[in-house]
Amino acid sequence: MKKYDLIIVGAGMSGLRAAIEAVKQDLHVAVISKVHPLRSSSVVASAGLNAVLPKRDQNKIDQDSIEQHFQDTMKCGYRASDPETLQILVNKAPAKIRELERWGCLFSREKDDSIAQRKIGASSFPRTVYSSDKTGHVVMNTLYEQCIRLRQNKPDLLRFYDEWFVQKLLVHNNVTSGVIALEIATGRMEVFTSRAVIWASGGSGRIFGNTSNPLANSGWGLAVPMYAGAALRDMEFIQFHPTQLSGSHILITEAARGEGAVLLNRKGQRFLESYSDTKERKELSSEDVISRNIRREILAGRGIEANCVHLDLRGLGSRKIKNSLPGVRELCKTYANLDPIRQKIPVSPGQHYMIGGINTNEKTQTDIEGFFAAGECACNGVHGMNRMGGNSLMETLVFGEIAALKAATYIQQKHHKPSNRLFYENAFSDEKKKVKSLLKSHGKVKPAEIRDKMNQTMNEFVGIYRDGMGLVEAGKIIKELKNTYQNNLMIQGNEARANFGLIEAIELKGSLDIADIIIQSALKRKESIGVHFRNDFPSYKGRPRYSMIKVKKNKIKIRHISIRTQKNPLFALFSESRSQNS
Amino acid sequence: MKEKTYKLAVFRFDPLVDTKQRFKNYSVPRSKTKTVLDALLYIRDNIDGTLAFRASCIQGRCGSCAMHINGKYALACETPLKATRNVIRPLSQLPIIKDLMVDMELFWEKYESVKPYLVRHSGEARQSFENRKEMDAMIDCILCGACTSACMITGINPDFHGPAAYVTLNRFLKDERDAIHDQRIELVMSENGVFRCHSMYNCNEACPKNVKPSENILEIKKNIS
Repeated sequence: MKKYDLIIVGAGMSGLRAAIEAVKQDLHVAVISKVHPLRSSSVVASAGLNAVLPKRDQNKIDQDSIEQHFQDTMKCGYRASDPETLQILVNKAPAKIRELERWGCLFSREKDDSIAQRKIGASSFPRTVYSSDKTGHVVMNTLYEQCIRLRQNKPDLLRFYDEWFVQKLLVHNNVTSGVIALEIATGRMEVFTSRAVIWASGGSGRIFGNTSNPLANSGWGLAVPMYAGAALRDMEFIQFHPTQLSGSHILITEAARGEGAVLLNRKGQRFLESYSDTKERKELSSEDVISRNIRREILAGRGIEANCVHLDLRGLGSRKIKNSLPGVRELCKTYANLDPIRQKIPVSPGQHYMIGGINTNEKTQTDIEGFFAAGECACNGVHGMNRMGGNSLMETLVFGEIAALKAATYIQQKHHKPSNRLFYENAFSDEKKKVKSLLKSHGKVKPAEIRDKMNQTMNEFVGIYRDGMGLVEAGKIIKELKNTYQNNLMIQGNEARANFGLIEAIELKGSLDIADIIIQSALKRKESIGVHFRNDFPSYKGRPRYSMIKVKKNKIKIRHISIRTQKNPLFALFSESRSQNS
Repeated sequence: MKEKTYKLAVFRFDPLVDTKQRFKNYSVPRSKTKTVLDALLYIRDNIDGTLAFRASCIQGRCGSCAMHINGKYALACETPLKATRNVIRPLSQLPIIKDLMVDMELFWEKYESVKPYLVRHSGEARQSFENRKEMDAMIDCILCGACTSACMITGINPDFHGPAAYVTLNRFLKDERDAIHDQRIELVMSENGVFRCHSMYNCNEACPKNVKPSENILEIKKNIS
């Protein structure tokens, strides 16, 4: 048994930011991650982080403001963002940029040395801080560097467990007491006891086939807390990014459109102009309407061969592409064998971001004591029903830090009665048995076969456009797949050591369970709002409600709850934060 | 009609079980695979679930799948399969955990040994546009390990920091905001330090991101002399 004050699961941006804060709070911290921190999904994030920064020209009347960041996000999210959570995000964002700046982050800069900002998606001002189109990579390096610095200064406080796979979240009488994890290289299992756990496992896009997400994002990250009793929220809200490279689903960042790239149909027309909801802002409309209109264009027969349209960067000119979008050019050359300086890029929409996740409040608290969640795996309501580009990277930093602070307070204040040894021993032997019995699965169906069928089903029935009949069908297929998994699974290899096939098979159970929850949530919401569009219920009536999902004894229970309205007078809060920042 | 396939010879070795390293032959359908990583994933999914290798982002950005492919170090996810036999080996100079999965511990230790973080002067000077621009060339390093694997000196002398660590070091040496420039130089002045590099350019050739570690090492040497 290994003993810590705090365990952080996941070492992407949320996890690393939480780790930095936790060590500053003098907590004894373990960061457990399935992949090395610098291999996390966050490194792939391209476009940037939204923050309102003071400009040199203070006298200019028409300039960005924190209020405007709030309003843009609200508008993009169909006024369904949780106002208090969103206030925290927009208020803290500028300080997070200054902090990264202090840590040496290599942001792109203007000629006057100020931090460069660009306009992406639904922002009304250039607000997105970036590093060419490799922002995630650059920010992750900075965060990891700070972790190394802290570890070299305080070696006893911070320990990384790289390539350890978390199997179970331990909860005793609704109080968090640690995790059980497996070291992938050796197959060794270990109990980690702790007084609090911060969950930062990231996205779950691999439940879908047409996703831009890395392989690690299997859905297991949501399944483990769900098995431990955590409530999920808004699982039907899945963002489909409009421009993924056709075939490989590699994402072509919205920064491309921000810099001036246009979308063209087969006839070479800028078709977004012909739809009422994208007529005005065209390529800078929010992602949900662009994705829907691309699908419409393809369904109307004006797409290009393999279900795609063209993204045209040629108008930007060679220099702008080389300076601002070098990553896009590299990806196109490697994976589509074309150069966007001279050629159009075939793109289609695909799964990109989970707006839903583990239900948390604005303090990252869940309904399990001592269990906190931040980043894409969490749903604190900040994105409403459609995420605005550039807000999610900022969310990881703001709420990663808050999670560590809240965990620290919880650890210090709470009188902790340690779980008894028997509880740990029983949980441990249960997990060991599970792995053992899985290794004896000598059925006929390989995990990949089940996964591929799940991927196809989600693509086909739970995509940009959904309807009741399709969702019911999808539910049936997933149920059959769960049955096959239970009764006819084939696992190769006879031990857990360096057995990636086994790990993938364990995760597949979680993927299937989360897929089921997504389908049931989509079925339950008989309206179209934000990224959730039902062909059989195309309108939206009434006030925004969020979905609260609880799973008890394998039964999924979903309730719709009205979103809280603004309690506090907004501007009072804004002015307060301003005086703090200045 | 028989399906067209790509042929692969993949390095297999389990140090706890096997006495000999060996290559195992596989065929994967051309219709379902384009890159070497596609093929490896196909093998794990459909032929042998116990084949060990790392992979994550599948788009050349995370650095998980660096290996030795057809005589060159490369990222498997970026390397197209060729029509003739594809020979796949793990990174070298690192202990093999299993098959294509090597123990990167030593690599990360070397990276950490050059103090890979900014230590600032007091006060908050911001980085200038020009200084930032100079770093464009080195920003792309994803610490995949290909260069260090290809480095002959690392092979002969395990205490040599290796090209990846020097790229990181040079990034901080070049940063006008950094306060411990001289300390950093001292770190690599030892007999196992930067002057061990004989400029063989293996690292440049191995780097899948065109970071040019050799040039970075030359810059450090110039910085010292």
